[in-house]
Amino acid sequence: MATQGIEQPHVQRPRGKTSSGGRKPADAGPLTAYLFMAPYLVLFTIFIVVPVVFGIWVSFHNWDPLLPVKPFVGLQNYVDLVTPGSTTFGPFWKSMGATGKFTLYSVPLLVVIPLLVALILNREFRGRNFFRATFFAPYVLGVAVVGILWRFLLDPNVGLVNYYLGVLGMPDNIPWITALPWAWVSLVGVTVWWTLGFNTVIYLAGLQDIDPALYDAAKVDGANGWQRFVNVTLPGLRPVLLFVITVTILASANMFGQSYVITQGAPGEETTTAIWYIAEQGLRFFKMGPAAAMSYILAAALAVVSLANFALFRYRGD
Amino acid sequence: MTQQTARAEHKDGRGGLGRLLGLLPSYAGMILLTLVFVAPLLWMLSTSLKPNYLTTRFPPQWIPGTYSGEGYSTILTTNSGNPVLQWFLNSLIAASAHTVLVLLTASTAAYALARMHFRGKNLMFVVIVLTLVIPQFVFLIGNYLIVQYFGWLDTLLAVIVPGAAGAFGVFFLRQFFVSLPMELEEAALIDGANRLQIFLRIILPLSKAPLATLAVLSFLTNWNDFLWPVYVLLSPKSLTLQPGLAILQGAYNTNYTVIMAGGVIASIPVLILFAFAQRYIIEGVSRSGLKG
Amino acid sequence: MGRGRARGRVLTRQDFLLLSAGAGAGLALAGCGGSQSDLETAGSGGKSYNGPKVSLAFWNGFTGGDGPYMQKLVDQFNSEEKNINVSMNTVEWETYYQKVPAAVQSGQGPDLGIMHIDQLPTNAARGVILGLDDVASALKLKENDFVPVVWKAGEYNGKRYGIPLDIHPLGFYYNKSVMEKAGLNPDQPPQTKDDYMAALQQMKGKGIQGHWMSPFEFTGGLTFRALIYQFGGQLYNKDATKATFNSDAGVSALTWMVDVVKSGYSPKDVAQDAELTAFQNGKNAFMWNGIWNINPLDAIKDLEWGAAQLPQIGTQKGAWANSHNFVIMNKRGQDPNKVAAAKVFINWISHHSEEWAKSGQVPARNSVRDSQTFKSLQWQPVFAKEISYVQFTPPVPGIADVYYGSLDPAINEAVLLKKEPKVALDEAAGKADQLLKENKQKYQAA
Repeated sequence: MATQGIEQPHVQRPRGKTSSGGRKPADAGPLTAYLFMAPYLVLFTIFIVVPVVFGIWVSFHNWDPLLPVKPFVGLQNYVDLVTPGSTTFGPFWKSMGATGKFTLYSVPLLVVIPLLVALILNREFRGRNFFRATFFAPYVLGVAVVGILWRFLLDPNVGLVNYYLGVLGMPDNIPWITALPWAWVSLVGVTVWWTLGFNTVIYLAGLQDIDPALYDAAKVDGANGWQRFVNVTLPGLRPVLLFVITVTILASANMFGQSYVITQGAPGEETTTAIWYIAEQGLRFFKMGPAAAMSYILAAALAVVSLANFALFRYRGD
Repeated sequence: MTQQTARAEHKDGRGGLGRLLGLLPSYAGMILLTLVFVAPLLWMLSTSLKPNYLTTRFPPQWIPGTYSGEGYSTILTTNSGNPVLQWFLNSLIAASAHTVLVLLTASTAAYALARMHFRGKNLMFVVIVLTLVIPQFVFLIGNYLIVQYFGWLDTLLAVIVPGAAGAFGVFFLRQFFVSLPMELEEAALIDGANRLQIFLRIILPLSKAPLATLAVLSFLTNWNDFLWPVYVLLSPKSLTLQPGLAILQGAYNTNYTVIMAGGVIASIPVLILFAFAQRYIIEGVSRSGLKG
Repeated sequence: MGRGRARGRVLTRQDFLLLSAGAGAGLALAGCGGSQSDLETAGSGGKSYNGPKVSLAFWNGFTGGDGPYMQKLVDQFNSEEKNINVSMNTVEWETYYQKVPAAVQSGQGPDLGIMHIDQLPTNAARGVILGLDDVASALKLKENDFVPVVWKAGEYNGKRYGIPLDIHPLGFYYNKSVMEKAGLNPDQPPQTKDDYMAALQQMKGKGIQGHWMSPFEFTGGLTFRALIYQFGGQLYNKDATKATFNSDAGVSALTWMVDVVKSGYSPKDVAQDAELTAFQNGKNAFMWNGIWNINPLDAIKDLEWGAAQLPQIGTQKGAWANSHNFVIMNKRGQDPNKVAAAKVFINWISHHSEEWAKSGQVPARNSVRDSQTFKSLQWQPVFAKEISYVQFTPPVPGIADVYYGSLDPAINEAVLLKKEPKVALDEAAGKADQLLKENKQKYQAA
C-alpha cells in the first residue's frame, strides 16, 4: 500500500523550525487553517451540533412540525416516559425491551463466532484472503437487500429454510417470521449472517498484530493450545475485543432494518425496536417532543453501557 | 509477511502432510461457511430468473428449469408506483455526490487538523472525534427538522448532505496525514509554496490509497442507507433503492421473481465495487479496529 | 408564479435539485404561488377548466385491487379533458398520512389526493388541505345529494374540506357451504341476536367454530366499533374531550365479543387475517369484514359465500364505516391553475363514481347509488342498506391516532382473554382522555 512505501523514519522536529534550523518558512497564518476547516465545519455545525442541541429543545415541547404552535411542556415528556400509565410509557419501554433482547441475543454470537472464524483463518491457511472476502461480502449489501432475501428464505410455507429442515427430518413448518421465539432467532441469525465478516476482519487484523515470539515463549513454558489462547491471544486482543464489543453493542441497539423488512415488528409489537418506535412517533406521527426525549434516554442508556464495558476492560487487565 | 514466515517456522514440527490433515477440519468448516454465505445470494439470482409460478415450487430448482425475464421486465418497465430504474439512478447520484462531498470536506479539514496551527485546534479535534461515539438516532429528529427547513425533504439533497457531516472521514484522513513525514512539506514551504499548493500537489497525490478507501466506504454507506431515506424521501419517484426495495416487497407480496430481481439489481453495483475495491474496504475496516 | 412549472411533464431530478436549492435560498418568498385563500377560490369551483395545460399529481393508497379501477377513471378523464393531465401515484396507506403532509408542506408531493374522512380534521388543522366550499357551492352540492352523515363529517370548523367519494362499511359475510354443513339455511343468514347465537350454537354442535373473533383492528376493532353503536353508545363525546367507549354500551359490546371466544365459537388466538383465510378455507362461517373483500372473494373458485347487513346484536342497528374523500393539497408555492384543474377532476369523478363502485365501494353520491349501474351490482347494494345507520367519529383533529394508543391494545388484550373487558376499557379510556387532551392543546392554536 502507498502508506508502506512512504514509511520512512519520522524525525521529530520542533514546531516551526526547519532542518536547516534557520529562518522559519512563510507558513500560512490561522486564516488558511480556518479556510481549510470551514467546509467541514459548516456541515458539522449544521448537521451534528445543531440537531443535538435543537433536539433537546424540541424534547421540552409538544412539537408538531406541521402546526404553528408548539407548546412548551418543560420536562413533561421525560416525566411521562418514566411514569407507568402514561401514553408513552408502555410502548416505549416495550420497544426498549425489544432492543434489549435483540442486543442480548445477538452480541455474544457476534463477538464469539467471528473470533472462532478468525482464529481458524489466522493459521497458515491457503486461500485466507478468499475466505475472508467471501465472509465479508454480505456486509456490503444493504439491510434492505438482506431483508427481502431472508424474508423469502424464511417464509414458513415457501421458504428454503423450512424445506431443507424437512428434508433433514426436522419440523418443516416453523413460523420463522410470525411467532416468538422464532422471530428473534430469525432476526439474530440474519444479523449474524450479514455482519459476521465485518467482525472477523477486525479480529484477523488484531490477531496478526500479536507478536509470535509471545507464543513461542508460552510454548517453551509448556503451555498447551488453550492456555496459549487465554494467556497470549486474549490479552493481545484486548483493545480489539473492546472495540468489537462496543461497536457490536451499539450496532445491535440501533437495529431497525431487519425488523422493518423481515418481521414488520411482529408479532404484535414484540420485535419493534426502540429506534423504530422513536422514528415512527417522531417522523410518522409527528410527535417530536416525546420522540426526542426517548432518543436522549436511549442514548444515555447506551452511554452507560459503553462506559461500563470500557471500565470492565480497564479493570480486568491491570 | 515476516510474521507469517516466523509463524510457519514455529509450527509443530509435523511434516507437510500431517499439517495438511490437521487443517482439514478447518478447511471443511470454512468451505461449509462459504456455502452458507454464498448460497442465499445464488438463490436470489436463481429466483429472479424464473417465471413466478416456479419460484415457490418444490423441490427447489437451483438452476431454473425454465428461464424467464418477467421479474426484471416487470420492474424495469415504466411503473408509476415502483420506478425501480429511477430509484437506481437516484441511489447512484446520491451516493456519488455524497462521496465527492465527503472527500472534499474531510480531506481539507483533516489536513488542517494534522498540519496547521490555529487556536482551538485541539478542542475542535476532540469534539469532532467524540461525535464518533454518538449513535445516529440522536441526530434523527433534529436533522429532519433542519432538512425540512431547507426545503430538502423529498429531494436527493436530504440524503446527500447530512451524512457528510460524519466525523469518520476527518478522523481517518487525519491519522494518515499525520503519518506522512514532514520534510516534504517543509521543503516545499521553504521553496515558497503555500499550504493550498502543498495540499494539492504533494499531500493528495500521496494519499491516493486512503482517499480511495474513504471514497469506497462513503459510497457504500450512502448506497446502503436505509432508515433515514425511509422517512425523508416521500414521493415514489424520489426514493432511493433501499427504501424502494422495502416498498417493492410490500407491493409485490408473493411475486418473488419481481422482489428478487429488485434485490439483484440493488446488489450488483455494490458487489462489483466490492470485487474491485475489496482490498481498500477490508484494509479500511481492519485499520479502524486497530485504531480503537 | 409563471416559473414554467406547468410544463405538462414531470419534473426531472435535476429540476428538483435546482428547485430545492432555490427553495433553500429563498425561503422567505411567501409571495410565490397562491396563498391559501387565493387557492381556495381559484377557478370556477370545478365546473370547467379554461387555463393553460397543467399536469396534476394525484396520490392515493389504493395499492390493492382498487387501484386499477381508479386508474381507469383517471385515464378516461385525461382523454376527455385535454388541458389537464392527471398522473396517479399509489402510496400505501400505512405511510400515506406521514408522507403527504410532509411532502405538501415542502412544496413537493401531490396536488390532490384521497383521504379517509377521519383524517380530514387533522390535515385541515395542519393546513395540509384546502377548503372546498366553493366547489360545493359551484356544483350546487348539498347535504341531500349525499349521505348526510358523511357529508357532515367532511366539515371542520365550519368549513368543508372533503368531497365524499364513497363509503366502505363493515358487513356480514357468510360461508354458505359451512352453513349447510351445520344444517343451516345458506340463504337465510341470521339477522337478529337470537338467530345469530342459535346458529353459532348449532355449528358448535357440529364441531365448527362459526365466528372467528380477531383481536386486531382489522377486524376485531371494526367489530367493536359497530357493536358499541348497536348498544347505543359512542366512542367519544361530541367534542371529543372524553372517551366514552368504556360506558355500559362499550362494555356490553366487548363482552359479547369475548363471550364468543369463551363459548368456543372462535379459536382463542386468531392471528392477523386468519379469520379471512379460515373463511376462504371453509373453517369459519361468519365473518364481519369490510366491503372491500367482495372482489377478492369473488375471485376464489368454488367459494360459496354471501353478504348481508350486520346482524343486530344490540338494541339498535349500527355499523362501522369509513369514507374516501377527495381533498386538494395546500402545497407550498402552488399554482392556482392546478388547483382549478383539480377541482374539475374531482367534480368529474364524483359524477362517474359508478365505475368506482365496481371496485367494491358504496358511492357516497345519492344519484349514483340510485343508478341502474349500481343497482345491478350483486353485493354493493346490500352494503348500501347499512348507510342509513353507519356512524363516524367526531370531526376533531388527531382523532384517528387516539385509537391506536388506547382502544386498540384494550380490544386486543380482552379478546385474547388477557384482561376483563371492563378493566381493559377503563384503562384505555384513561389513556384516551390523556391523548385527547394533548391533541386539544396541540391543535387549539392552529
